[in-house]
Amino acid sequence: MIWSVAAALLALLALSIPVGVVLFLLGFGVDLFFSPLPLIRGLGQVVWSASDSSLLIAIPFFVLLGEILVRAGIAERTYKALDAWLSWLPGGLIHANIGTATMFSATSGSSVATAATVATVAMPQAERLGYDPRLFSGAIAAGGTLGIMIPPSINLIVYGFLTETSIPRLFLAGLVPGLLLALSFMVITAAICKLRPALGGPLLGPSLGGRGRDFAWSERLSGLADLIPILLLFGVVIGSIYRGWATPTEAAALGVAMAGLIAAWHRALTRDMLVEALLGTMRITAMIMLIIVAAYFLNYTLASAGLGRELRGFLDGLGLGPYGTLIAIVLLYIVLGFFVETLSLMVATIPIVVPIVAGLGFDKVWFGILLILLIEMALITPPVGLNLYVVQGARKGGNLAEVMLGATPYVLTMMLMALLLILVPGLALWLPESAGG
Amino acid sequence: MSDRIVSALRRGNRAIGLACGLLLLATGGLILVEILMRQTPFGALGGSDEYAGYAMAAIATWGFSYALVERAHIRIDLLQRQLLPAGRVALDLLSLLLLTATTWVVTFHAWSVLAKTLDRGSRANTPLETPLWIPQTLWFGGWVWFALTGTLLLLVVVALIFRRRFAAVDAVAGCDLEEGHER
Repeated sequence: MIWSVAAALLALLALSIPVGVVLFLLGFGVDLFFSPLPLIRGLGQVVWSASDSSLLIAIPFFVLLGEILVRAGIAERTYKALDAWLSWLPGGLIHANIGTATMFSATSGSSVATAATVATVAMPQAERLGYDPRLFSGAIAAGGTLGIMIPPSINLIVYGFLTETSIPRLFLAGLVPGLLLALSFMVITAAICKLRPALGGPLLGPSLGGRGRDFAWSERLSGLADLIPILLLFGVVIGSIYRGWATPTEAAALGVAMAGLIAAWHRALTRDMLVEALLGTMRITAMIMLIIVAAYFLNYTLASAGLGRELRGFLDGLGLGPYGTLIAIVLLYIVLGFFVETLSLMVATIPIVVPIVAGLGFDKVWFGILLILLIEMALITPPVGLNLYVVQGARKGGNLAEVMLGATPYVLTMMLMALLLILVPGLALWLPESAGG
Repeated sequence: MSDRIVSALRRGNRAIGLACGLLLLATGGLILVEILMRQTPFGALGGSDEYAGYAMAAIATWGFSYALVERAHIRIDLLQRQLLPAGRVALDLLSLLLLTATTWVVTFHAWSVLAKTLDRGSRANTPLETPLWIPQTLWFGGWVWFALTGTLLLLVVVALIFRRRFAAVDAVAGCDLEEGHER
């Protein structure tokens, strides 16, 4: 059954059938060929209980929060402020790219949205100041992926929903690895630019090569005023979840209200802006929900048709042991990540992979974070790496190969991070355990 | 004729999308009131959680058709991009056909859920005891409208193919990575 389902999945996806429809069709197929009972009778009830969810409504709230902030021009302000603070590092403005992406990840639940936002703001600066486009654009694509790791994260909500794992715990587990990854991105950037100054900024002369521009402290402090509202927003959303004051959905609704206030403070909250933000939110929400509802149905058919038993037999046959199997799964994700769009990759594999991993005795929260890291990597590996296209789309020229090349050091950083996360699970698990949740 | 149908569907579904957005805002407002009430001596009203779930069910299903006319449902066009226009159109047609057929199957089974609720007069197993036919009718209606929108688009696409207007098919039912993807 595993192999037939996997083969049918890849074939249908390759035919460009919408992903949600593919998952429904697979569910019908499992019912037809592998189940002794007619599972389709449960279809209506499964679909109803998947969509009647006060947990999933956090997704449109977080999407809306991001849409409002983007349309209020918060990204431009953040970028300018971080430029003043970080540009003295080797690599200059590239650190502002990563920093802005990190800040934005902390308010937006989506990697693609984060990359698109930062790219739109940063790209004109790269051209104006004469940066080498490769590392510059690669850093945006990679920095953008932090959006799904640093909470709030839509992908973590989806993971938690499909695997029945606590969303607050997942959010807290993503925070330390996410920040550590952002820091590693900056360290690797500084290291590369120290070695090859030409990659890291405007060549102002041989002696200044690779050195950043200097900003007065007054400029830095005034920029701080633009960073505080975002940090406050993040603090309220994540803090209220950490302290157990609010559910993720309540925290998300609170976040939307705060984003509205920030937008109003900047006089950007107009009727047209709100209409566009709401419509954008609905497009994304409907797209995600069709996939989730279908995946939920597929989950149900696979479980009812005895996937668990079959997997156990399959694993015993392999005899790799827990860590051997885990490495095999990681490699599988790296390979699939080249070709399959990320949300689909996640949703389609969770019903098969997570029971295996949990059966081996690994923590589901920890694996969620590892999975997100692998998904992040998939976002910036060609040929199907959405963030690469998004960043290229925001450039005025050049070709996609330059972005791919520029993202390579960050892909390697992510691989190291994945290894670290496997060796030191506490990176992810320390914070949720300290919260006692 | 087909152009008129498409633009009417786009306008109608945009209005529906906006209505869903307003429902989302209203739900957010309700949740905020609940959070604030918890801090007062009167305590929380309760039930915002339950209503949020019903709102999600309605928003999701009615949003499906809006996402469809905006070509926002993810498709992986890695292979499709390599094909000649005729091949691309064939895959667009196949996609829309399977989507519409699947949607009708789900709609049919969604009806059986609603029919059972109506038949038994089921209420939610909560303190509010909401009669379930109310949220389920909203939810079911979204599936019906999604199936109808898919069917109408399918007819338009078939008509366009007969007139060999391949570019128009792409505009109605093609892959659209840029626009649809999480933007």
